Amino acid sequence: MFRKILIANRGEIAVRVERACREMGIRSVAVYSEVDRHALHVRCADEAYLIGPPSASESYLVIDKIIDVAKRSGAEAIHPGYGFLAENPRFAERCEREKIRLIGPSAHAMRTMGSKTLARKTVQAAGVPVVPGTVEPISTEEEVFRVAREIGFPVMLKATAGGGGKGLRLVRAESELASSLRMAKSEAKSAFSDDSVYIERYIEQPRHVEIQILGDRHGNYVHLCERECSIQRRHQKVVEESPSVIVTPEMRAAMGKVAIDAARAVRYEGAGTCEFLVDPARNFYFLEMNTRLQVEHPVTEMVTGVDIVKEQIRVAAGEPLSIRQEDVRQTGHAIECRVYAEDPDRNFFPCPGLITSLRTPGGAGVRDDSGVFEGFEIPIYYDPIISKLVAWGKDRTEAIARMKRALTEYVVTGVKTTIPFHIRVMNNRHFVEGNFDTNFIDKVFFKEEGERRLEHGDVAVITAAIQVFLEERKRAMAQKPVEGAGPVSMWKYSSRPGIRNLG
Amino acid sequence: MNYIGTIDGKEVRVAVRETGVARYAVTIDGTEHLVDAHQVQSSVWSVLYGETSFEVDVQGKDEEYEVLIAGDCYKFTLMNEQRKALMRSGGKGAAGKAMVSSPMPGKVVKLLVREGEEVKADQGVIVVEAMKMENELKCAVTGKVKEIFVKEGEVVESGAKLLLVE
Repeated sequence: MFRKILIANRGEIAVRVERACREMGIRSVAVYSEVDRHALHVRCADEAYLIGPPSASESYLVIDKIIDVAKRSGAEAIHPGYGFLAENPRFAERCEREKIRLIGPSAHAMRTMGSKTLARKTVQAAGVPVVPGTVEPISTEEEVFRVAREIGFPVMLKATAGGGGKGLRLVRAESELASSLRMAKSEAKSAFSDDSVYIERYIEQPRHVEIQILGDRHGNYVHLCERECSIQRRHQKVVEESPSVIVTPEMRAAMGKVAIDAARAVRYEGAGTCEFLVDPARNFYFLEMNTRLQVEHPVTEMVTGVDIVKEQIRVAAGEPLSIRQEDVRQTGHAIECRVYAEDPDRNFFPCPGLITSLRTPGGAGVRDDSGVFEGFEIPIYYDPIISKLVAWGKDRTEAIARMKRALTEYVVTGVKTTIPFHIRVMNNRHFVEGNFDTNFIDKVFFKEEGERRLEHGDVAVITAAIQVFLEERKRAMAQKPVEGAGPVSMWKYSSRPGIRNLG
Repeated sequence: MNYIGTIDGKEVRVAVRETGVARYAVTIDGTEHLVDAHQVQSSVWSVLYGETSFEVDVQGKDEEYEVLIAGDCYKFTLMNEQRKALMRSGGKGAAGKAMVSSPMPGKVVKLLVREGEEVKADQGVIVVEAMKMENELKCAVTGKVKEIFVKEGEVVESGAKLLLVE
């Protein structure tokens, strides 16, 4: 087993990995940029190294700097978390060359699954069902038009190097195609410095269901059942749960088998996720494979009891998986809400800034994977995630009730957060009934929210009025002593006849 | 103290009177409400209305309020009565004018309009990137771009004036 692991990441996911290291008796090495000296991931690590200016492209994304710290610290392995270098095959190759173990799959697996087109080809050959579309990246605008017509609208434009909802555009009609293509390319260029795109048929009313898999070097594979991530906004997951209400035991077994087939096709090692779209008739299509730890991995951990990060570390150290397929059970139900520093009442604009006060929820069945603390300033340079709140219950009803309860306990001041949004989702009838698809938030939820009558307007106005009242009184009181105690008393002093006469 | 509030475009009269330690009588359009209110944590209040307990987060700036209760956001304005009277006599106001300002710190990626250009309400006028996301900012009114205060590539603070439409 490793004695020391470097975590090439920041924020909540770095803290998550450091926690696993602590529990396994492995020393953890943090890296941090100039704005992250106070960050939680530095405080939770055993060692920490400064790697440069705030901008990720000058710190967390610089392979040379990460490798240098690994050597200086004597770390035998690197955990990349998610984002940054996590799915970068050049980084994986560099680690191989430097004889530093990367906790993740091989560069070959990353490269194959990272190129969406190559991934499609590979999994299709392994018998995995895929969404109709192009296999090669499309270079010219004319070709985009030709292929789109061929597949039929609506189509989805996707950045070949994409992820996290960036460089992704839904195009409903040919008239929107030119401008959408421009936006997708420009976003892809700035996010991944690669503006190539491909095109796929858009499945109407799709649900997003993914399978967590684990593989080791000895050819063992298990799947840890599904997560449903259909609650998305702007194609970015915001609420995830396991199990999915639409997945039957037969479907689970079939999807699990297909996911393992896809993993086996690239001799996958470590933790990975096969994402599927499920149409209303419950046909499922392979979407992509994420060759890293997912943001939403805690929901799977809550229902299966498997610590995915620890399995990753064991497998990377050459040990076999500690679980067999027949040991995997889904117990109860877990839901995760991603808490971001964004303003849900202003179209989710990012709200970086100082967390002036914080009260985190607790109690039965609640897990908060946080990267912040009271007094922490959320930097503008990175993803504005605050924490991932996870609730477990014996069934979905209890999990929702617990999540709602935990969310109302959660207080963050100084920055706007998505907590209010999540409370509204948990209260929404369609969500509670399990009746939604990936368009739910953008198409149904906001419309319904706009029509909902709010109950406590009086309390809101009363409290604000009291606050104004007290502020005005404070201002008035602060002004008075200045008038009384200032120059007036000086004048009195110097004009006292007795004193003047002394001179 | 007396205040004028605007809720959903409707004007209401609000009066606050302190009746004891952390006890207040707040009258809204003639109806009196008795509450026990404590500011417990930064902008968060614990309010007992009768025996009902509320946690209320009050965010206010320039008389505009956004109050969160149990995940619901209440937006309204609240202004001192005397100030309101002053403002009313103070001139023409800003009808038909709209300042587009940056809601967050970020970088100006693209200007979608030029000075002098005619724009429609709800038209995207500028793209600002923050936290790896490109956000298209829209203009609130129909009019002409009077002035642009920033250049492409410029880094802007939260609340920075970007352009003026008249």
